[in-house]
Amino acid sequence: MAHATPRLIDRADLLAALDRAAARKVTIISAPAGSGKTSLLRAWAGRQGQRRRLALLQVQRNQQDAQQFWLALLDAVRHASATTGRAGPSAATPDFYAPAMVDRVLSELDDARGDITVVIDDLHELNSPEALAQLTRLLMNLPPPVHAILTTRHDLRLGLHQLRLAGELAEIRAADLRFTGRETRVLLDASGIALSEAGAAQLHQRTEGWAAGLRLAAISLAGHPDPERFVTEFSGSDRTVAEYLIAEMLDRQPADVQDLLLRTSLLDRVNGELADLLTGRPASERILLELADANAFVVPLDPEHTWFRYHHLFGDLLRLELRRTLPEQVPALHRRAAGWFIRQGQVVDAIRHTQAAGDWPDAARLLADHSFGLTLDGQAQTMQALVQAFPPGQDHPELALVRAGGDLVLGRLDQAAAHLAVAETYAATAPPDRQRRLQVAIASLKLSLARRRGHLAGVVEQVRFLASPVTGRSDEDIALGSDLRAVALMNLGTVEAWTLGLPDAERHLQEGAVLAREIGRPYLEVGCLAQLAFASKIHPFAMTQRRCREAIALAERYGWGTEPVIAPALMTLASTMVWTGEFDEGERWLRRAARALQTDTGPDIGLLMHIVSGMLHACRGCHHEAFEEFSAAEYLRSRLAGSHALASQVTGWMLAAQARLGRPGEARAALAALDDERAGSGEIRNACAVICLAEGDPAGALGAVQHVLDGTAPSIGYVTVVEVHLLAGLAHRELGDQRAANQVAERALALAESDRLVLPFAMTGSRELLEALPRHEAAHAALLADILDVLHGSSPAAERQPPPLDAEELSPGELRVLRYLPTNLSRPEIAGELSVSVNTVSTQVRSIYAKLQVRDRSSAVQRARELRLLAAGRPR
Amino acid sequence: MRGHLTTPDHGVMDPAPALYMIRINGHLGATVLSAFPAMAPQQHGGHTVLTGLLDRSALYGVLAEIEALGLDLLEVRQLTPDGKSPGSGDSRSP
Repeated sequence: MAHATPRLIDRADLLAALDRAAARKVTIISAPAGSGKTSLLRAWAGRQGQRRRLALLQVQRNQQDAQQFWLALLDAVRHASATTGRAGPSAATPDFYAPAMVDRVLSELDDARGDITVVIDDLHELNSPEALAQLTRLLMNLPPPVHAILTTRHDLRLGLHQLRLAGELAEIRAADLRFTGRETRVLLDASGIALSEAGAAQLHQRTEGWAAGLRLAAISLAGHPDPERFVTEFSGSDRTVAEYLIAEMLDRQPADVQDLLLRTSLLDRVNGELADLLTGRPASERILLELADANAFVVPLDPEHTWFRYHHLFGDLLRLELRRTLPEQVPALHRRAAGWFIRQGQVVDAIRHTQAAGDWPDAARLLADHSFGLTLDGQAQTMQALVQAFPPGQDHPELALVRAGGDLVLGRLDQAAAHLAVAETYAATAPPDRQRRLQVAIASLKLSLARRRGHLAGVVEQVRFLASPVTGRSDEDIALGSDLRAVALMNLGTVEAWTLGLPDAERHLQEGAVLAREIGRPYLEVGCLAQLAFASKIHPFAMTQRRCREAIALAERYGWGTEPVIAPALMTLASTMVWTGEFDEGERWLRRAARALQTDTGPDIGLLMHIVSGMLHACRGCHHEAFEEFSAAEYLRSRLAGSHALASQVTGWMLAAQARLGRPGEARAALAALDDERAGSGEIRNACAVICLAEGDPAGALGAVQHVLDGTAPSIGYVTVVEVHLLAGLAHRELGDQRAANQVAERALALAESDRLVLPFAMTGSRELLEALPRHEAAHAALLADILDVLHGSSPAAERQPPPLDAEELSPGELRVLRYLPTNLSRPEIAGELSVSVNTVSTQVRSIYAKLQVRDRSSAVQRARELRLLAAGRPR
Repeated sequence: MRGHLTTPDHGVMDPAPALYMIRINGHLGATVLSAFPAMAPQQHGGHTVLTGLLDRSALYGVLAEIEALGLDLLEVRQLTPDGKSPGSGDSRSP
């Protein structure tokens, strides 16, 4: 029977030392296993008068997945700053970009406004070098009131020299953590152990003040009939402290407790049910609870005390002892645990235990079968770690499937294709009950690959295969089928939008979004909506912008506002703004899209980036930069397999920019190299006209665009038609026919009216053409005035802006409500999320509108973005 | 190349295994010794000396295990058959 022992004693001196250290920006506690680092943190956190909020994270054992680490940290920060309301803990995403994640953490810390201390325990367990590098960046950029405390077993390469030089780095080391003789006596007294001064001194000397040693000794000494003898024997032994004392402690436990400790030591964490399963006896939960009460080596993981883990050192020694005394049981125990985890749907743990049991073929099968679902769950790095755990000598062809998935995520398209080929060969020889599953997983990866390469034919082929009904025998199969279908729809819709721009794209993407919402795959839903926003480019801009904002709002709700998945929507929104002359606003969205796009997601989206950048430069008259951007876009387009929806636009604008740069000869040469089909498109003919104008041949320009004007040349959209009218106008002006020039200019305005297009006017340099127009034409007077304002250098949006608002004027409560405005939550729902009354929310919303000088929600959101009041819009 | 699909580590060729002697404070019992199957133990006074043939990765693995178990590391020494210090020859494998 274990006696109740207070777990922590008051080590006032040490706490004071930590207080002093924590006044600096970063404190590092570096000491070996069992020195008492975690206990110190808990004592420090739990004492009275602790006013700072703590964001506490203990790094998981051998954490190789950087994304998991950062998400856990983000959740810890959110918990500390008490921002409620996101949809549960942050979700992992298939494309993970660490710097963006760090920005998110920094921005949460900013929003928290106040004293927060970020505490990371067991940092040495972080086995991801990239994560460590990003952590350095985080620590170097903490907002002023935020401090950090890190604990580790050995010194880490964190690169914090600058902090050290500035005196902002504090260290607490093993020597500081050692129990003094006096503290040893306090510990003994607190545990009710009657030991003489000499005995206590002996104990202190033998353990050298090592915290784990003292605590282990205290467990054995409590209730021991002859404490002095125990200490004498202990001192007289040469055995290492930990081994001696753990053996002593175990010996004193009843047989069933010993058995439980040994058998469950191979788990990372244990609960009553698992323990029952591994020991073959019931009522393990009670034993675990008693152990947790009795000593600090069994630690509860949740407030309800259902899950526990062992102190690492303790668990490691138990595991060794298990392997030494019951070696033949170990694989069976791992298998039993794996079975339990599979039934709970915790695939990763199941695979780990299957690997530990040495059942490599089974582990390979599990991993391959679940690879698709795990990828969607954002577990790509974990999967790669699992793959690498397989011994090199063996051949597991189904792992090729997993490796292909990893390659795709990293943009290594050729390797992915090679691995897929291996996987296909294997699948052909697989037993029939698994064959369908494997083929389906392979098809989904080929789909992804085809999409990244812009290869529409490849996509359609795969989709047809995947669309055949899934006759699943299990719920698992059906879920897999729905997942695959949603991904298939997303990929198909995306390729259709990018290559052919068809209404089919919209239909498929909408269907995909609806399905994704049904099956609870928010990442896919956001993906579909983002691509749908791009596919809407041919619609009136009002609809396009609405779809963009909807997609972005949904993404922000899940914290994915700067993830690659939302980039198409960000870019499309940027592009619509550039089209309508809001160059500054468009540039801001473009920059946000650039930040979201750091991982290489393929040439298709990079192409769009360059186009929009080129448009911006061309409108501002920076023809050299415009030419560079369009050339880059052209290069990317040439790398795509299959045609691209915007192909002729890219080429056309590139040639036009080249001509305007003063190199019409080169442009003409490039023009001549095009094949007849391309040269016949409206966009290329327009470019030809620009070249003619640059060469001083207005008549030639008119001739080049005749078929565009009469509508017989194929064009991407009506914007090409607007452009051609302006070019014709410029040509007429040069030929001296002012009346004809006015006529086509009017026509251009008429066409541009409904969307309020400004870009073609800016790009063609039509200022003088427009100024020559009689101003009394009421129908287009407003648009004309706006366009001329833009061409004269002031953006229309800037004119309407009220004087800038000092962001401090919004109260913290109002800022909290403001952050919900971009979502589609109603006021009662917002009130629910923030745990306040609906009246409060309404009052705050009214106040927000008043302060931002707007009258509706979407204007408030826009204004807030301009003023960078929303977390996601904050630059860094 | 073998038929497996893993990508080998890039960088420096792993030098051939060498004989290492690692001295730890205290006597290691059977339990802790089982964590070092590649090493042969010997008690020397109050210390335990582990000797074994280790390549670079294995060496760091052993050191990591020593850290994890909270053992008191006293000395790590590389031994050569003739007692001279290593590093004078070409250690690349054929």
